[in-house]
Order: sequence, then structure tokens, then C-alpha cells
Amino acid sequence: MARESLGLVQGTVDVLILKTLTWAPMHGYGIAQWIRQRTEGALAVEDAALYQALHRLERKGWVESEWGVSDTNRKAKFYHITRDGRKQLAADVAELRRYVAALFKVLQPA
Amino acid sequence: MSSDRPHRPHGTRPLFRFPWLSRRQVSADVDEELRLHIQQTAQELREQGWPAGEARLEAERRFGDLEFTRKFCRDEDLRREGEKRRMTILDELKQDLRYALRALRASPGFTATALLTLALGIGANTAIFSVVRGVLLDPLPFPQADRVVRLWNVDRALGIDRGWVSEPDFIDWRARSKLAESMGGYFFADGQLGLDLTGKGNPERISAALVTDGFFQALGTRALLGRTFVSDEHVPGRDRVVVLSHGLWTRRFGSDPSLVNKTLTLNGQPFVVVGIMPPGFTYPADQSLDAWIPVSFFGPDAIGRSRGSRFLSVVARMKPGVNETQLRAEVAGIAARLVREYTDNPGWDDASSLSIRDSILGEVRRPLVVLMVAVAMLLLIACANVASLLLARATGRQRELAVRAALGAGRGRIARQLLTENLTLATLGGLLGIGLGLVAVRAIAAAGASELPRAGDIRIDGVVLAFTLAVSIVSGLLFGLAPTARASGGNLEVSLRSGGRGTVGGAGQRMRSALVVAEVALAVMLVVGAGLATKSFARLLSVKPGFEPSNALVVVTGVPSRYPTAEGRANFYYAILDAIRRVPGVQAAGSIRDLPMQGNGEMNGVTLPGQAVLPGHELTVQRQHISTDYFKALGTPLRAGRTFEMTDREGAPLVVVVNDELAKRFWPAESAVGKTLLIGTTPIQVIGVVGDVRQRGLAEAVEPTMYVHVLQNFRIRMSIVVRTAGDPLTYANAVRQAIWSVDPNQTITSITTLDSVLGHAVSRPRLLAWLMALFGAIGLTLGALGIFGVLAYAVNQRRQEIGVRVALGATPRSVLSLVVGNGMLLAGIGVALGLIGAALVTKSMQTVLYDIRPTDPVTFAEVVVVLLGASLLASWLPARRALAIDPVTALRYD
Repeated sequence: MARESLGLVQGTVDVLILKTLTWAPMHGYGIAQWIRQRTEGALAVEDAALYQALHRLERKGWVESEWGVSDTNRKAKFYHITRDGRKQLAADVAELRRYVAALFKVLQPA
Repeated sequence: MSSDRPHRPHGTRPLFRFPWLSRRQVSADVDEELRLHIQQTAQELREQGWPAGEARLEAERRFGDLEFTRKFCRDEDLRREGEKRRMTILDELKQDLRYALRALRASPGFTATALLTLALGIGANTAIFSVVRGVLLDPLPFPQADRVVRLWNVDRALGIDRGWVSEPDFIDWRARSKLAESMGGYFFADGQLGLDLTGKGNPERISAALVTDGFFQALGTRALLGRTFVSDEHVPGRDRVVVLSHGLWTRRFGSDPSLVNKTLTLNGQPFVVVGIMPPGFTYPADQSLDAWIPVSFFGPDAIGRSRGSRFLSVVARMKPGVNETQLRAEVAGIAARLVREYTDNPGWDDASSLSIRDSILGEVRRPLVVLMVAVAMLLLIACANVASLLLARATGRQRELAVRAALGAGRGRIARQLLTENLTLATLGGLLGIGLGLVAVRAIAAAGASELPRAGDIRIDGVVLAFTLAVSIVSGLLFGLAPTARASGGNLEVSLRSGGRGTVGGAGQRMRSALVVAEVALAVMLVVGAGLATKSFARLLSVKPGFEPSNALVVVTGVPSRYPTAEGRANFYYAILDAIRRVPGVQAAGSIRDLPMQGNGEMNGVTLPGQAVLPGHELTVQRQHISTDYFKALGTPLRAGRTFEMTDREGAPLVVVVNDELAKRFWPAESAVGKTLLIGTTPIQVIGVVGDVRQRGLAEAVEPTMYVHVLQNFRIRMSIVVRTAGDPLTYANAVRQAIWSVDPNQTITSITTLDSVLGHAVSRPRLLAWLMALFGAIGLTLGALGIFGVLAYAVNQRRQEIGVRVALGATPRSVLSLVVGNGMLLAGIGVALGLIGAALVTKSMQTVLYDIRPTDPVTFAEVVVVLLGASLLASWLPARRALAIDPVTALRYD
């Protein structure tokens, strides 16, 4: 499964989603918007990957979802992060920091 | 906002509230979510200026692999729902279980009472079911046993419905029947037919059945090793062949597989072992049988082969599709034709039949059914009792449950929790019940080992445990039904407001009262059954057997076949008796062919001189072959005349001693001594009259009997009765030595006491009486406990009311009569209903009762007294407590 082997990218998508949801429960479209706006377009998560990640995270119990009606009166499925999700996020972020730090140690000229 | 509580953005409302989703819903949810996303993207694109037609396509393009995502999300969600469902059920169950155990621990008195009650009910059911299963339900050791039937010859005029069949008649039955696939005959009498097995090891008398060709084929059972007999081996000269039982093979030959085709010595003759039968096959014996040999081994000199000489029992295997009625009709037709064809066999022109299952189990089925009904009632009483306890407890717990409901537990959840509690209680009770059942089964199997066919099959195994589990669960549902319905259906606000006192009277009290009535009614039925069974047993025991059972030893042996002459056999017979008579302390010793309760002698047609009777229609009397001193040893009184002397031997005039019954039939007004009887045309003189002996069994009527001296009509079988000065068993060894002093190789079939022979004869009714009495006592106790519990509880609930009454001047007498009256009213209704039920139910006991009618008014009256007495006691104790209520404390109490 090529899409499952995205490795860093997939892990990064998960972290981004979880982080986003710490701000507020959101629907999928909202999450995509939020990430694009926060990174000023630098990071764009593909919609397909976003939804796969959301459902995967929900199965793992890190997010939960609920149908609702948005401020603009549109029906949508809202996701919120769970206690386990927060723990996972903290662990992922720490891992990512170590990873990026290691990466930069290699990339920066000595 | 950093809460992880489930919540929604402000202003939204939940659209779904099911605890979990169906497959279709999951699928629809995913489709909807993705559709909404694409719709929103498309709208945004339109707002950015994309043409309406292309915006949607672009949105889908930007999304990525839509179909894969759809499938991926759907799979993830389905997996999640599955896990969630499992977790929820498991979690709630665990929670309920923990809660149930805590609740049960919190009220140890209630729990102990309920558990004990259930254990008694379930234990009794486990025990009886395992007996029923072992004896009645396990398949018979014959393939397609429903095609196997027993057949008998019938003589309507003589009133004999189940007569044996002569060998020539049987051969014609077998040859002419078109509906029977195979037909076999056998001769077997329990404990009476033995063969001397000599050679390696101790000489031993083994039990054997004599069989004709077709016997094994009709039953259909194949040999475990080797084979059964072939037709060729039922011909004199080629019939020195034997089939051994699994029991003998393992016991005597250590399961040696090379025994097949080897030779054994039986009655001094070489027999080739052709096969070993599988375990469990002992037909026609109930319990154990050692061997089968062809009946042709005993020639016409030993067993008559005329058409009048009936000795064969017949089994037949019907062709597929043939039913018992058709076969019986066919055989009856054959019998009728045979009577016309052969004039020497008048009268026996009909046939009767019974399925092999009924013929083996018919006698024990009824008592077992009675016991099954009894334990079912016991369980119902136990359930009613526990239900009543639960109801009382539920009233006290209304507040607790109301609080739980207020905290968000749904009605279903509360019902489920109560159900878990009840099932936990039932399962624990069931576990205890299995323990009780184990003990009981051992006791029953030990007590009934000799009296129940297939007692060896009684055991507690997976099937019995499954039954117990099912019974426990059903009980749990049953006794939990009313309390649960009430607790989860009640008005919770009301219970919260009532301050936890619960409601006085009302539906709960009515339900408990109804349960008490039901309990008392069931107890009445059970106790009536117990009363009938024990009375019947007592009456059976009070029957005078016609002999003195104490201080008498019984030795069963026989004259071995190596004495060819009549004189040699007679000498050996009396040598044995004389040796025993010389043992110090032996007061008398005499012998008979069949001991009372152990055999029915031979049947003879007898007439009086000068009487014109059709041949075959004479008065049928029992003929027993005895030695001198037999009546002295047995303790049977001589009424008139004399008994046998050694001079009544071959060559001397034929003489008989008759019993009272025979004397009364033939000479009601005068003395029988000196009168003459005719057997055929042979005149025989009556020399004495003795008291009646219950030969067939205590419950059976005494038959006219004549005793003949073995020296005038010899029989090899010896059942020696030894009258002793003291405890008969202390003489056993000396008697054995005395016999061996005559011949060290003499085989002794059994040594026991006359007491135990008699005890053996009543062991089945004794077992029934004991079990019924036990179940009746438990039922009575539980019923009384039920009344006590309900009244004690009611008194407790009504203490304020009673306090007010006392304060207002009620006398102790009126308080007493209030409570006792309440209890006796319930008991009265219960007793009335129970009597009606008992009258209907005990009818089924008719065949297991001796000398008492199933509707015996005395027993019914006694039961009413016992039940009302127990109820009075059970009501009086709580009433005393009501008397002790101090109005001041009672009113201040709340």
C-alpha cells in the first residue's frame, strides 16, 4: 500500500490534525482550511490523506466525531481530540522535534 | 477550549444518538461526509471564479483518490464500531458483575439464604437428571433400537398376556414372519443360570444366557472382537462356542485380545470363544452378564422341546417401515395358525409385544418421572422463595435504584444490572447445587446400583453440567422476573420522595403474597407425594413375608455337572446340607431351587381327581423343589400334617406340601392333608400344609404353591437357608468351609443373609420413599420459610401502623390475630390450591404405590394439618415480633 508508506508525511499529517483540533472541534474541510491558513499555504494536506487520517485517528481513539450543524448552518461531521489524542500528540511532537533536530544536525554545515 | 469532553460547537445539536452504528449507516456517513467536503470545495472554487460546471470536477480532482478514501474510511469506521460494541458490552457486563458481587456481599444474610435455597433446588434437579439421563435417556446399546421389539405368546383363556414361547413355535414364528428382519430367542433368568468355568485360576460360576440363532442379529449389536454366532453353530455337535461379555473379558482375562478362538472349559466341556461383546452390552441381563452360549447345548433331556414346553423369550428386529402393531398382528396370526396345525398346543393362539426400550425401562420409568416432577416442584418452590426474598429486598433498594436512574442509568441498564445480579446469584447457587448433586448422585447410584437397570451409566458429565447451567439460568430468569419488572418499571420519583421506606402494601406485597400462595400449593403437592411414597413403603415393609428374615444365612450354589447319575447328584446335594448342619450354632439348614423374592419356581397345571378340565386350562400353581428342613430353616410355620422326610424319595409314593393359598382354593372347608392332586394324570398326595410365603415379592399376591422333595423331582440349583443362633454373617466362613469339605472345587455363587435378600427386594421402593421424603421435607421447609419471610418483612414494614394501633388501644390478641390471620389466609389459599393440584398430579404415582390410593384421603388430611401447622409456626414467630413493638419507638423511628 503505497499511501500507507508515506512515513514521515503520514505521521506529520496526524500531528497536524491533532494539533489543529486542540484549538477547537472542526470538520474536515475546516481542518484543511486551518492548516493552509496557519502555514500560509506552505503546507497543504491532500484531502484524501486528510480524511483517511481522520478516520484512522478516530479508530485509534485519539479523536471522536459527531454530526452537527456549522455556524453557516451547513451539516457537517465535527471532530474533537480525546484525552488519549492529547497524550499521543505530546509524544508525537517530542518525537518530531528529536527527528528534526537530528536531521538539521546532518544538514547544517559543521 | 481544551476540554476533551464530548461536546459540540455552540449552537449545534446532535443528529445521532445511537450507541453504535449499523453497517449501512457507517457507509452512508462516510459518503455524506466526503460529499459535503467536495460540495464545499466546489462552492469555494465557484466563489474564486471557476465556472459552475468545472468547479465540481476540479474539487474532485483536488481531493485525490476519492474511491480509495471512501473504502478506507468505511473500513476504519466499521472496525471501530465493532471494537466499540465489544468493549461496551464487556465493560458494562464487568461493571454489572462487580456491582452484583458487591451487592450480594453487602447483604450476607439474604445471599446465604438465597444461595442455599437455590443450591437445594438445583442440586436435587442435577442429581435426578443425571440418574434419568444415565438410565432412561442414554441410547440403548443396540443400533436402531426403535426397530427392536419383544414378543410373547398369549393365552387369553388362561389370562397370560406375556407367556414364553416354545422352541418349535419360535422356529415357526421366525420362519413364517415376513415383517421381521431377524428374530431371536433366549433363555435367561437373573442369577439362576450359571456355567462352571474351570481351568486357569479359581473355579467360578459365571452367569450366562442361552440364545438361539438370530438373537444377536435381532439386537443388531456387533462383537467388539471376533464375531457373534453364525447359524451353523446352533446345531448340536457344533455348538461348543461361547461369546463373552466385556465385563468377564476384562475381569477374568485381563482384556487379552488373543482370547478369541481359544478354548475355555465350561461345565467340564471345551468351548471356543468366538467373540467378545462391547462394554455396556449385557442383554438380557440388567446389570452384568458373563457369557452367551447356543441354547442347543442343553439337549431335550435338560430343556423340553415340545410345543407345550415354553421357555424362550423372543426379540425381533422389524424391517424398515414396519411398526410394532403390524408385526404383533402378523405373529398373532402365525400363533393362531400353529394352534390349528398342532393340536398338542391349545390356547396359545395370540401374541403380544413391547418395544425393547419399554421392556427394559418400563418399570423404572414411572418412579423416575415421579422424582423428576418432584424436583421440578422443589425448584419452583426455591425460585418462588428467592423471588420473594428479592422482592422484599428490591423494596428496600428502591431508593438506591432511583438514585442510579437519576444519575443517568437508563431503565434498560437498570434491568440489565438486576438481571446480572440474579444470574450471578443463580450461577453461584448452581455451582453449590452441582456440589450437592455430586454427593446425591453417588448416594443414589450406590443405593440403586443393584436395582436400577444401567445404574453403571449414572454419572455427572458435560451434558449434566450443561443441564444444570441451563436450569440455573432459567431459575435466575424466573425468580428475577417479578422483582426486575417491578424495580425497572416502578415510578422512581415516587420512591425518591418516599424517603426510602418503600411503599407499604401495594403491588410488591401483593406479588409476594401470590408467591407464598404458589409456594404453599407446590409444597402441599410435594408433601402429598412424599406422604404417599413413604406410606406405601411402610405398608410394603409391614407385609408379612411368610418367613423369619433375621438370623438366617443364604448360600446359593448348585450340583456340578460332573455327577452323571441321579443318585450321585442327590448324594452330593445332601452331603452339602449335612456338612452345613454339622456346623456348631447352625439350628437348621434346608434348600430350595428359588429363594423367595429371587425366583418364581416352575408353573404347573393341577387338577383334582374327578374334575373335568380341558387340557391347558388347569389351575396353574407354582412348583418349588426343596429339601428336608427347608421350612424349619426359613421359619415358615407348618399348619397341618408333616414336611418331607428322607424316605420321600424316588420309588416312594409322590407327595407334596402345599401352601395355605392352594389348600384354601381346593379344599376351602376341609383339611388338605391326605387329599390327592393330579398333575396330568399322575396322582400326588398332600402330606402337609405350610404358611404362605411371598415368593414373587412383597407387593405380589401369594400364588397357590406346591413344594416337592428334590429326592422325588431333582433340581441342581441349591439356595440353602441356614438358620443360625446369632448374627448369621459370623457363620459365613464356617459354612463355606463346610461346603468345601465336601468338594474343594465347589463354586459358591453368593453368600448373604435372608435379611438382605428381603431388603434387596424393597430397595427400589425404599429409594423412592427416601428421596420423596427428603424432597418433601425440603419443600415443606422452604414453604414455611417463605411464609415466615414475607410476614416478618411485612411486620417490619408495618411497625408504624402496628405502633399506632397499639397506641390507640389494640390488644396483643388483636395484633397477634392480625399478623397470624394474614399468614394463615395465604397458607389456606395455598393449601386449597395445592390439594387440587395434588389430586391431579398424584394420579401418575398409581403404579409406584403399594396398597394405597393416590388420592388417599388420610394422607391428604395429614398433609393439610402438617402444612397449616408449619404455616402457623411460621406466622406466629413474626407475630411475636409485632407484639414486641413499642408504640413510642415505632412512631419515633422514622
